[in-house]
Amino acid sequence: MKEKLHPFHISVLVFMIQCGVVIFFLPRLLAQHMGYNGWVSLLFFSAIAAFNICLISIVYRLGNGRSIFQIFEQSLPRLLTFPIYTFLIGVWTILGCIAAKQYIIIFQVFVFPTTPPMYMKLLFDIIACSLIIKGIYNISKAATVFFWLVIWTILLLLFFIKGFEWVNLTPFFFHESSNTIAGGLSIFTAFLGYELTLLLFPYVDPKKGFIKAVYFGNLLTTLTYLGVSFICYGFYSFNQLTKMKFPLIDLLAYIRFPFIERVENIFIAMYLITSLMSMTMYIWAATETAQSLIPKANKRWIAVVLVCAAYAVSWFPDVLSEVELWLKYFGYMAVGIAFGLPLMLIAILVIHNGGRKIA
Amino acid sequence: MKVEDNTISEEANVLPSLQHTLDNFKDCMDLVHRTFPSIDVSLVYFGHLVGSDALYQDVVLPLTTAHENEVQTQLTRNQFKQTTDSKTLIKGILSGEAAIFHKDNAYLIDLFKPDARSIQQSEAEAVITGPHDSFIETASANLSLIRRRIKSSHLKAIKLEVGEVTKSTLYLLYIEGIANMEYVRELTNRINLIEIDAVHDGNMLIQYIDDFPNSVFPLFSTTERTDTAVSKLVAGRIIGVLDGSPSVFAAPSSFFEFMASPDDYYQRWTTGTAIRILRFIALIITLTFTAFYVSVTTYHYEMIPEALLLTITQSRSKVPFPPIYEALLMEVTIELLREAGARLPTKIGQTIGIVGGIVIGQAAVQAGFTSNILIIAVASSAIASFVIPSYVMSASIRLIRFGLIIMAGILGDFGIALGIAYLVVHLSGLTSLNSSYLTPVSPNNFNDWRDVFIRAPFWALRRRPTQSRSANVVRNRMKK
Repeated sequence: MKEKLHPFHISVLVFMIQCGVVIFFLPRLLAQHMGYNGWVSLLFFSAIAAFNICLISIVYRLGNGRSIFQIFEQSLPRLLTFPIYTFLIGVWTILGCIAAKQYIIIFQVFVFPTTPPMYMKLLFDIIACSLIIKGIYNISKAATVFFWLVIWTILLLLFFIKGFEWVNLTPFFFHESSNTIAGGLSIFTAFLGYELTLLLFPYVDPKKGFIKAVYFGNLLTTLTYLGVSFICYGFYSFNQLTKMKFPLIDLLAYIRFPFIERVENIFIAMYLITSLMSMTMYIWAATETAQSLIPKANKRWIAVVLVCAAYAVSWFPDVLSEVELWLKYFGYMAVGIAFGLPLMLIAILVIHNGGRKIA
Repeated sequence: MKVEDNTISEEANVLPSLQHTLDNFKDCMDLVHRTFPSIDVSLVYFGHLVGSDALYQDVVLPLTTAHENEVQTQLTRNQFKQTTDSKTLIKGILSGEAAIFHKDNAYLIDLFKPDARSIQQSEAEAVITGPHDSFIETASANLSLIRRRIKSSHLKAIKLEVGEVTKSTLYLLYIEGIANMEYVRELTNRINLIEIDAVHDGNMLIQYIDDFPNSVFPLFSTTERTDTAVSKLVAGRIIGVLDGSPSVFAAPSSFFEFMASPDDYYQRWTTGTAIRILRFIALIITLTFTAFYVSVTTYHYEMIPEALLLTITQSRSKVPFPPIYEALLMEVTIELLREAGARLPTKIGQTIGIVGGIVIGQAAVQAGFTSNILIIAVASSAIASFVIPSYVMSASIRLIRFGLIIMAGILGDFGIALGIAYLVVHLSGLTSLNSSYLTPVSPNNFNDWRDVFIRAPFWALRRRPTQSRSANVVRNRMKK
């Protein structure tokens, strides 16, 4: 019997793909672009993501749970699917590997300034590769364990209740916001990851609430982001927040125990697993797409080749600012895919179904 | 490769005869051959396999008191099975039956009663409260221990044979209506596919039939305790009793099952829960404590609070090695002590403990080989590893610890995180009898968490574990 993904695992998977290194500096992005009480804008971004999930749910219903590749191949000539697939493979692979590189560089900056980041990235990629080749069911199992390993860290926010000042929040909303559109787009990339659920259609149980689970995963991410950003807004002054590179890491540095301090070292290391899951899922998505492009190829080998290619690409951006620039542009492309792909699929399905009712 | 067995003739359906039988057992001087010329009866058996009282009562006495014309009538009694092929006859003799030859006919009578160790307390799985009897090396005695506890005709036993030469008997036990028959079929198939000359122990057998023989983790749990075996049966699992081994295996198993001990159920639920949580803390300590020491003292000194920093630096000031060598040295020493202690008789084992624990520990610090703090870290890790109830799992965890220490020595906290991530990735891919090894965490089932991370009160343990995929899920209908 082919195993199907349980809704809980889908929620966890969505959360684990969405939540990545961005959480380290999301409060800063919010402060810089959304101004005072920018954390409230997360609700707006979350709503956009929910709308996007709604588009995905329409694809799921119209396509009767068929895989998106089946939908494409049944309606479009290969001449058209080829560039679409190639584009998807390219963007998802690079996005996955650059997100991982960003994490590695952040870790290097904080902990190992003299260690070559590509050496650390190599070890990271080996683990990602070993997970990708195990298939989506095992990826989701690993994601669930990783989820429990990281989710409890939310409770650490309780440490900051004492230092939380309501006055820091100010009565102003979105005052001093700047570059709202481009900044908003960057903030929205923090929610990316749910679009990969488009590829989960063949692996889910149609009788169980697949789409609800995706919404729930997005909600979980929203609550996490809200919690972290709210605490940061209340703990730091607005000006501090705009100037701090990684507010969350600095926040965690305040936690002290009698036997250990500077625990942010542990937490940065622990967040490896969220980056690992983001990279794994993006390259898994690219692998699935490549499999549709070359059906005869062995999926394991595709995964290995893509991880190697991703590793090679991640040599190019050397410093954090370059990585951020790459992430910005590939993030924009991924946002385009997140909206464009379901819209394109809906259009295909509507034309193909000849105006028949949504199943 | 099929192992050729010379002892047992492979010729099928040869009519059994005394001469043929004796030829087969040529040079087997432990075989007993008795003749009763007056009634034309010959008796062939292994004296050490059959019970002498039963032999006298059921065979010798009736035959010697019977007249020649009454012998045939005696042999028609239902304990005598007429045998028409030589292979069955030889197999019967090897299994503790006595062969009786009368005229051209051959009969078998089951008189199996080998010498066996008495039922004692398990040394490997001792408990403070609860039953103290444990399995021994004789399958029939083990079956009797189980049947005495499960008085139900639904307890079924499939008899199988493993070992091309040893022909060891294996009983697969399950409770009909509770166990999933797919598991039973799968396990039976896997056992039937074993082609090896000998299987000596249940722990050895499971390595032939588990899903990932190359994994460091045991995928089927084993136990020497009767109450544990029974509880697994009732939970819907299948157990395997191998003749010649006191270790009974249960399948399917999950990683978390290895953290449970029967003691948890015999104590009040609050105590049981506290102990279970303690075991998970012990697991974390075993895996990461020494690695964390290496990581902090190699790369992350900033993580040590000022007051503690002085103690650690003083302690480490005399040590000429980097922390990773220091840690590996001590970890290997601890493993040497453990291994030596395990192989030696108890009294000498105690001496090893004193020599190792006090002399080497103290001397190593004084000589500047290692720091006091590391001794504490290594000793805590070792003690914590013994808190894990399953010895096999505890050994696996200890081995993995070395990997984490090396990773910590190379890349500090990042190395530990990578190591743990790889461990989770590996565990996620494992299955036990095609069911997830990480159940009930992944696939997630909160209901089962009540009997995994805590030991909930009995009224709350209403359902059998999901991993059993039992058709009869409810096991407790009692109200609070």
